[in-house]
Amino acid sequence: MEVDLSGIQKGAGDGDGGVRHGDALLAFADAVILGPDTALTESRSRLLNLLGTEGLVDAAATVASFNSVVRLADSTGIPIEAHKQEIAAGLEQSFGPREAWYGR
Amino acid sequence: MNANEPTVAIRPGLAAAIERAWTHVSGPGTWFTGIDRLAIAEEVRAAKPCPLCQARKAAISPYAVAGDHVECGKLPAPLIEVVHRVTTDSGRLTESWYRSILDAGISDAQYVEAIGVIAIIIGLDTLDRALGQGTKALPAPQSGMPSRVRPAGAAKTIAWVPTLEPADVSADDPDPYPFGDPVNIHRALSLVPAEVRAFFDLDFELYLPQAAIRDFDHDMRAIDHAQIELLAGRTSYLNDCFY
Repeated sequence: MEVDLSGIQKGAGDGDGGVRHGDALLAFADAVILGPDTALTESRSRLLNLLGTEGLVDAAATVASFNSVVRLADSTGIPIEAHKQEIAAGLEQSFGPREAWYGR
Repeated sequence: MNANEPTVAIRPGLAAAIERAWTHVSGPGTWFTGIDRLAIAEEVRAAKPCPLCQARKAAISPYAVAGDHVECGKLPAPLIEVVHRVTTDSGRLTESWYRSILDAGISDAQYVEAIGVIAIIIGLDTLDRALGQGTKALPAPQSGMPSRVRPAGAAKTIAWVPTLEPADVSADDPDPYPFGDPVNIHRALSLVPAEVRAFFDLDFELYLPQAAIRDFDHDMRAIDHAQIELLAGRTSYLNDCFY
């Protein structure tokens, strides 16, 4: 399966990236985390039409999970495992230097 | 609309985990009473509109912005700082900031328990927000005293905070890893084992159980692995999380 991971960095508006309904999912994540509420209402409705109630719930739950678990890592200084460091190094080939990933 | 009544049908496993999470947050913990823990929850909700937190979030360095938090008045100042910073700008926390919290009188175990409560509340509130259900009213606190049991084998090894290796879990400790061999993120709260259990009890229903994360032959949810990981990646990116 070929997927385009650039949506993780760029957000919605650039196609699905090889993930079914990827653009709608990205828009939803952005709206939940960043708002505004009008964008969230719109993206929720879009996702409900595309995925149904169960899909919407699981999408919402996934965003909720990662919006919370990041606090554990960030606030305790727990390090990333060595094998994930290797994967991250590979991602730098796609996204460029890690230092620039969060420039916004 | 009553924000405490779900308006979207939630799968039974998740609904049950949500209820357990609220019971956990409102009850006595290891170092805090139920009243304290709900005060932490209340402070999580006060953090987002806090002008100091907003100014710090917008600043190149949050450490360059001084001021006082707009807060609920129920917790000591250092703990309010923890709740507000972790809630609004966790991606820029540093070990020296963490040490300043300890120097201000919050113990490492209190800190870890607070992180556990903060993370659960953020998970629950984010789910409600995402589903358009409104913010749930906080429950009443449950009576009872904190257990005040510190795992004897906890030590400062891989993280800023002491953690508990599986081999060092004693018979007197609640097992923080009932789900099996932990990865590093599972160790994060292990100085307070009850918080590890409670957080991941909820998180396995929000996300996936540990064994299912890399089971690409099966989809446990109504969205597939690729969809889940796209959401996970984007949400982590928006939170400046490298992990």
